[in-house]
Amino acid sequence: MAAAEKLLEFQFPARSDHLCILREKLREVLGTCSSSEELRNCIVLAVGEACMNIIEHAYCNNDQGDIILEVEKQGNNMIFRLTDFAHRKSCEEEMVGRPLEEIRPGGLGCHIINEIMDDVQLIDCKTKYGNVLQMKKKLDI
Amino acid sequence: MKSNLRSEISYDVLDLSGEIDLHHSPELRKKILGSLKNKKSLLINMEDVSYIDSSGIASLVEGFQTAKENKLSFGLLRISEPAMQVLTLTRLDKVFTLYDSIDQFQSQLQP
Repeated sequence: MAAAEKLLEFQFPARSDHLCILREKLREVLGTCSSSEELRNCIVLAVGEACMNIIEHAYCNNDQGDIILEVEKQGNNMIFRLTDFAHRKSCEEEMVGRPLEEIRPGGLGCHIINEIMDDVQLIDCKTKYGNVLQMKKKLDI
Repeated sequence: MKSNLRSEISYDVLDLSGEIDLHHSPELRKKILGSLKNKKSLLINMEDVSYIDSSGIASLVEGFQTAKENKLSFGLLRISEPAMQVLTLTRLDKVFTLYDSIDQFQSQLQP
């Protein structure tokens, strides 16, 4: 297996007004990896949704705490890792989307992430606080 | 996100542009619900929306539901590709009524 090449490590406050900066940084990196605008848009959307979940559910919109985004390239695969320092989430069941037959606002983020990314998992971190969400996406070459 | 509201006699057109994310979606929600409160049908122009996430979509869904409850029309005009991508992923492309022109929307409004 090819060694992973780190393309980005970006730490930012877990606040909604920083999401546009995150998208800009991510687009810069993805621009060097894939020529497909559709794919780049999808990845930016999925990572953005994951950050939104951290802001709203891990930090409960209290404007405190940071998020670290790491982006790695390993062969044909992109790996996105989001680390927060909030209370640990213990169950991956929370990351399953709700039924789409219900037409109501909210609750679409997990579905979008799972639809776009090839693999999504909470990494078991050894510290008492914090969560690490890892998402993988294969690049079309 | 930038927005502009154009008022016609029986409906409003809300022109949106730029990126709609968690930071901007409360403003979008306020504009949509504020317009519907005046008991006028609403058409959302999505032609220049370069990014929209699930929080933006949630505002659109809430507008759709509020319009329905009040027997008003609610539609999306000239959906941009990025916005269409999100609607397709969430299967809401089958829920919202999509229009190519304002005339098309106007013609289906009840007199």
